[in-house]
Amino acid sequence: MGNGFFTDTTLCIGCKACEVACKQWNQLPADGYEFSGNSYDNTMALGGTTWRHVAFVEQPAPLDRPPTENRWLMMSDVCKHCTHAGCMEACPTGAIVRNEFDDVYIQPDVCNGCGYCVPSCPFGVVDLIAHADYTDGRKFESDGRTHDDATQTTGGIAGKCTLCYDRQKVGFTPACAKACPTESIQFGDVDELKSRAKQRVQQLEARGVHSYLYGVDSDSSVGDLNAFFLLTDHPGAYNLPERPVLPSTHQPAGYASAALAAAALALVGFAIFRRA
Amino acid sequence: MSSERVDISLLNPDASYRGASNGEALPAHASPTYYDRPLLKKPHWEWEVVTYLFMGGLMGGSGILVALADEDGGDAELARSARYVSFALAATCPLILIKHLGRPERFLHMLRIVKFKSVMSMGVWGLILFSAPATAAAVAQAADDGLLPGWLGALAPRAVMKPAQAALGAFIAGYTGVLLSATAIPVWAIGKRFIPAFSVCSGMAGACAVNAAVLTLTGSKPATLAKLERLELVASLAELALLLGFRRHAGDLGKPMYDGPRGTKLRTWTLGAGIVVPALLNLLPVHARWKTLLASALTLAGGYVLRETLIEAGKASSEDPKAASRQPE
Repeated sequence: MGNGFFTDTTLCIGCKACEVACKQWNQLPADGYEFSGNSYDNTMALGGTTWRHVAFVEQPAPLDRPPTENRWLMMSDVCKHCTHAGCMEACPTGAIVRNEFDDVYIQPDVCNGCGYCVPSCPFGVVDLIAHADYTDGRKFESDGRTHDDATQTTGGIAGKCTLCYDRQKVGFTPACAKACPTESIQFGDVDELKSRAKQRVQQLEARGVHSYLYGVDSDSSVGDLNAFFLLTDHPGAYNLPERPVLPSTHQPAGYASAALAAAALALVGFAIFRRA
Repeated sequence: MSSERVDISLLNPDASYRGASNGEALPAHASPTYYDRPLLKKPHWEWEVVTYLFMGGLMGGSGILVALADEDGGDAELARSARYVSFALAATCPLILIKHLGRPERFLHMLRIVKFKSVMSMGVWGLILFSAPATAAAVAQAADDGLLPGWLGALAPRAVMKPAQAALGAFIAGYTGVLLSATAIPVWAIGKRFIPAFSVCSGMAGACAVNAAVLTLTGSKPATLAKLERLELVASLAELALLLGFRRHAGDLGKPMYDGPRGTKLRTWTLGAGIVVPALLNLLPVHARWKTLLASALTLAGGYVLRETLIEAGKASSEDPKAASRQPE
């Protein structure tokens, strides 16, 4: 088994050090200054040049409940590095590969920006990076904003978390996990992280905090996630799908539907044209 | 208490979430979405892709028509027109697709691998394979027409070219629908049994329309035109049935396609002007050039609007976090 992240949302304090460390190490451009009005979250979503995103879920308790039931959930989102990755299956150039650390990696010198991985990610992670030279002034949307400037030399291609492939190559911890001050983001061997995470669920349970692991022992078609999460609410509350589906599972029905229609029309056409 | 996993797939989003192994409910005031922000990323495909989906249908349909035309029985003009049309489209489509890449100078990277899991890779290779018999058959046709040296005509035996163009044409007309369905976009994924089929039907109807227009302008036997109109009618009505069936099947997930201004445009242009009006025109007992040309133009416009609506509906669908949260199986 390879390397991955265990993101324990009960430890996240919303400092966004992971976001900053990621931007710095990977030399990604800033997101601009935009106030979303959604709690402390002005990053709003993962994107082509935003590879960590801290979500802030505010849940005030109803007025008839004690104020201790107020909840403010924070969660540092990241590419899930799925066992069965929709982006990787969709990629027609082979730019998206699984590297020796079992992580899903986009080779920036191979990707030609076809964009098929973008709707093929069931988690809405990967996005295209703007490239002014190649978009004839057209603006690409990324990170929920419209960029009209070339962001970096790798523009015009798809971008997402590399799980710090370059750092792993030399034995370093990925930048976000290294920067996390509370060990909410833990990096390591996925199997080891999973057993640690299961213990953590038990530990929290003993303290009366209900939690579960998202992306572990999953029966979803995307399989287990190499970057998995400990959550204390619906996946939807963190903008994660309740039921992610691997897009390629739709192919057999799709091809069958096309083949049936083509065969039926060809038969009718044959009857019309060759009846004489 | 145990360390039992919580199976996210068994989660019932309508019930108060039971996330803990002891079955106690988490607070019921949990928010089901994240500030209603989109969960999925929006496809960036624009008019180039819409145009390709449209032209691919015409190209594939024309490939099938090459094989259907009874050249010895009076449909020689149709075979000629379909050969030229499918060649012209096979020559243009790659340029449009390359233009739409984020890095067009890397278009050859598409040919690094053959990947059966990627519908787009299959499409690229299908397009390349299709263009081989399409080009050879068009060259041979041009030789027969005296536009090129006569010996070139012997290079592409019709007995080989016809089935190749028909089979690959059927693939070209249909795979674009599979490509859309094999994504996480809810309205596309829920349409996996309908989008590929109505793409083929619309492509076939469009191919009949464009070749009927060419034949009307260049002259052909009325019998051939009548056959084309009959096939176009069948393909259009099948498309209509599939579009109505898809609406029923998709339910709420189909709203981005069938509701609001987009739905009105689809009903007006594709269902009304693109299917019903040409069908009525074709049933008219009048034989006039204007009738065929008008019916063809309307069918083609309807086919283009269908592809545009599909792409735009996919973009709108990607912005609905509730639809994206429980993805269609």
